[in-house]
Order: sequence, then C-alpha cells, then structure tokens
Amino acid sequence: MTAHSSEAKQLRPGLWETINERYPGSMITKDDLVPLARLRKPLSEARLTFVSSAGVQPKGTMPFDVAHPIGDFSFRRVPSDASPAALEIHQIKYPTNGALKDLNVIFPIERLQELAAAGVIGGLTPNFFSFIGYQMDPARFERTLAEEIAEAVAAERADAALLCPA
Amino acid sequence: MASNDFEKLIRYVRLHLGDGNETAGRKEIEKAWVEALKLLLDVPPTDRTFILETLESKDAATLAHLFFDLHFYFVKRSGEWIHDGTL
Repeated sequence: MTAHSSEAKQLRPGLWETINERYPGSMITKDDLVPLARLRKPLSEARLTFVSSAGVQPKGTMPFDVAHPIGDFSFRRVPSDASPAALEIHQIKYPTNGALKDLNVIFPIERLQELAAAGVIGGLTPNFFSFIGYQMDPARFERTLAEEIAEAVAAERADAALLCPA
Repeated sequence: MASNDFEKLIRYVRLHLGDGNETAGRKEIEKAWVEALKLLLDVPPTDRTFILETLESKDAATLAHLFFDLHFYFVKRSGEWIHDGTL
C-alpha cells in the first residue's frame, strides 16, 4: 500500500508520517499494487479465515519474540474453534488492557464463531493466523512471513480472509 | 541510596559503566546496545528456548547480574574497550 493510496484515506490523517518518523524504513511501499480478489461466492457459502497482527497465540506455544529489535517473522496457527481462555497475547506495541478483558476486541474469534454458527458466514478455516505487527524489515516480512501465511491460508482452502491489524 | 531514586541510580550506573565519567558511561550503554543490535539485524537463528528457560528459571538478581555481564560482553566485542584505567 502506498502512503497516498485511496485505502490510506480511511486511516487517521498523518498515520503514515508518524510511523515513518518513529520507525524509518519500516513501511512497505508498493507501486505494483495487486488488486484485492473478488469474492466468488456469497459470504454465507464462503469459508472465512482470519489473519491478525495482534500477537494472539494458543497457550503453551512459543511466545512471540517481542524483545527482538527487528521483529519476529513467525506466525502461529490459532484453532478457529478455540475459546479465548485457551489463548494469550504476546505483544507490547499496542495497549492490551481491553483485549485482556475481552480478547474479541482485538481478535474477534467468538464473534466469527457466532457468525458461522448463524450461517452469516459459510464456515471457518480450521485455523486462524496470528503474528506480531512489529516487523522492521518489510522486505523480509514480505518474503517470509507474508508468503508463509498466504500459503497456509490457501492450504486451508479459504474463500475469504479477514485481515485485522492491531 | 534510596532504591527508588531514579536520578541517582542512573547517574550511578553511568559512572560505573564509564569508569567515573558519566558522559562516557552513557556512550558505553549505547555502544553495548548497538553491538547487540548489529548481531540481530539479519535475524539469524537464536536459541530462544535457552533465553526463555533462563528468564523463567533464574531469580531477578541473577538476571540483573547477567544483564551487567552482557553489557560488558558486548562492549568488549565492539573492540572499543575503555576500561584500561586511563579514563
């Protein structure tokens, strides 16, 4: 996404400048923007996956490396039928006060389960995907983590993906 | 010295790391961090299991002691060692 794309207008004015000032070089800028894929079936028939940078992970898995100065280029699979009690957050770059009270405010797993149960969504992939947003090497991020998540999403035959930055 | 007197404590640690020179101590802190950062810029594989086990299994005082040892380890690794008694 470029700093001046139409998508950027939806965000807080000056956000990109703020990020570039605090984390110079961390922003991905692409001139060859790949358009979003169109949904090929009604949402009520589609299998949805969820990709989040909130640093949510199942308890007992290797915690995300929030101390690393460059980033943690790994992701965790979060079973889509998991309960919030089985999950935890390892992330220090956004305020987690609200999420610690109700994980759904940052990782709406129960809301998605409810929507699937109600038939609003056709179904959920067996796993959702989570990583931490502090990634200071955008080229590495694109080459490794983004590619790996994309492959994992495709392997779970998702028709649509809900992308949620933290 | 009151353990919560931040200003005195930070001066103390700078003087310690700078061998009595507060400005040098501040520079030494930055030097250690940069040296550590340089080793991670290319994101090499590291032993996170060891790190996490150490953090979980050792008491805070031992970890604090290790923190100081790591500081001097990275300062020495930088090749710029000021601790020769001439400062």
